[in-house]
Amino acid sequence: MGHTRGRVTEIRLEACRLIEAFVACPAGTIPSAGQYLLASDLDDPEAALGVPLFVAENSMQGFWAAPPIPISWRPGTDLDLIGPFGHGFDLPRAVQRLGLIALGETSSRLMPLVQQAAQSHYGMTLFTDLQLPRVPASLEAYPLASLVEALDWPDFLVVDVPLQCLANLRKVLGLPDGARLSCPAQVLVTTPMPCAGMARCGACAVPARRGWKLACEDGPVFVLDNLKW
Amino acid sequence: MSKHDLAIDPPLMNAAGSLGFSPDLYCPMDWSRMGAFVTNPISLMPRTPARGKRFIAYPGGFLLHTGFPNPGLSHVLRRYAAQWSRSTIQVMVHLLAQSPEEVMKMGRQLESVEGVVGLEVGVASDASAEMVVALTQAASGELPVIMCLPVERSVELAANAMEAGADAISLAPPRGVYPSEGEMVQGRLYGPAILPLALRMVRELSRLGIPTIGAGGIYTLEHKDAMLAVGALAVQLDSVLWRGAGTNLLT
Repeated sequence: MGHTRGRVTEIRLEACRLIEAFVACPAGTIPSAGQYLLASDLDDPEAALGVPLFVAENSMQGFWAAPPIPISWRPGTDLDLIGPFGHGFDLPRAVQRLGLIALGETSSRLMPLVQQAAQSHYGMTLFTDLQLPRVPASLEAYPLASLVEALDWPDFLVVDVPLQCLANLRKVLGLPDGARLSCPAQVLVTTPMPCAGMARCGACAVPARRGWKLACEDGPVFVLDNLKW
Repeated sequence: MSKHDLAIDPPLMNAAGSLGFSPDLYCPMDWSRMGAFVTNPISLMPRTPARGKRFIAYPGGFLLHTGFPNPGLSHVLRRYAAQWSRSTIQVMVHLLAQSPEEVMKMGRQLESVEGVVGLEVGVASDASAEMVVALTQAASGELPVIMCLPVERSVELAANAMEAGADAISLAPPRGVYPSEGEMVQGRLYGPAILPLALRMVRELSRLGIPTIGAGGIYTLEHKDAMLAVGALAVQLDSVLWRGAGTNLLT
C-alpha cells in the first residue's frame, strides 16, 4: 500500500442526480468491488479528511468513482490516492442467480458486480427503489417491495446498506425474527470511515454477532451472518 | 529512559487515537521523521464503541464521538507489547484515566514493558484541579508523564499537573456539539479550524514556562512551524494523518 497520483478527468451525474467522477490512475490502484481508496485533493491541503472512493465502473485507464464525490472536484483535480483498503465482495464461482439490493442513496457501488456478472453470463436481479444508472439490458430491476416474493430466486445475495438501516434489513427482506435467508449474503456497509483503518478509531463500528467490527478494516463488505442484524 | 528524561527528537509525533496501538510498518509514512509514537487511548478494562451518531463533518473539520473503544490493557499488552519492544520509534502509552487507582495500576504495569518510554494520561474534559493532581501523582513513577489536558482548560489546569509531577503537557481536542438529524451530538473536534485556538493555548502555556506538546488542527508545514514558533516543545499530528497527504508533514 502506497501513495499514487490520480486525476479527475470527467464528472457526470448518475441517475439519482449524484456526482460520479472518472479518476484516471494506474490499473493496479483500482480497488475491487466493495474495496475503497482514500483520495485527497492535492490543491486543498486543508481539507479535513480524505474521501473514500468506491468503484462504480471499471476501465483500463482508471475508474468511475461512486457518489458521494466532493462538489469542489473538477476535471483536472489532482488526487493523492492511498489503498486499496478493506475487504471487497467475494462472489463464489458457483453463483448462478445473483440478487443485488441497494438501500442507500445510490446503487453505483454494486455496479462493478453487474459488470462482472454480465461477463460471466449468470442471471442477476437488482432490487431498489432508486432511479437506475446505465445498466445492461440483462439486468432486471424490481422495487424493494417485490423482495418479499422474490427472495427465493437468488442463490447469492449482495446488499449495499447504510449502517443506520442495518437494523431494518430483516424488515426490508420480509423475514420474521429468527428466520434465516435461504442463500448466503454479503453486505457492503456504508458509514463514514474517517481514519480509513489507520487508527481503529471506532467511528465506523458495526455490531457483529460477537462484539463489533470495523467497516474500515474488517469490511466494508461483511458476510451478513457475521453481523448482528 | 528515566523520569524527567523526556526527549522527543525530531519534535514530531502522532496524537493519541490517530495511528492505532502500535506503529504500523505498512502505513505509508516515514517513521524516522517522528520522535515518538503515541498509542490509542487504553483503559484498564475493555470499552465498546459509543452508540448513536459517531461522526459529523462540518465546514473546517469534523466531530468525532467514538467512546475510545479498546480491548483493555491486558489484551493490548498481549497483542502489542512485543511490537513495542521491537519498534524503531519510541512508544508512549496513552492511558484513559478513569480514576487515580486505575492509572496507578496501569502505570506500574507498563514500567516493566520493554519499548515503552513514557505515559500520556488523558484527562476528562470536566475534571477538577484536584483530580488532575491525583491523576498526575498516580501516573508518576519510573516513566516520564505527559498530562493530556482539555485544550480549552489547559491554562487553568497545567500548573496543577506540573506541580504534581508531570514532565510536560499535551493538548486534547476541544469538545463541542453539532446538530444532526434533530439532535445535538457531542464529541471531540478535529480539523484545521482548531488551529487558532490551539496556537493561542500553546503560546499562553509557553509564556508560563510550561513544557507543552502542541496539537490541534495542524495540516501543513506552516502550521507545524507556527506551533513550534509559539513555544511548543514538540508537535502532535492527528486527523491530518488520516488523509494520507498528511504524511507530507513527515518529509
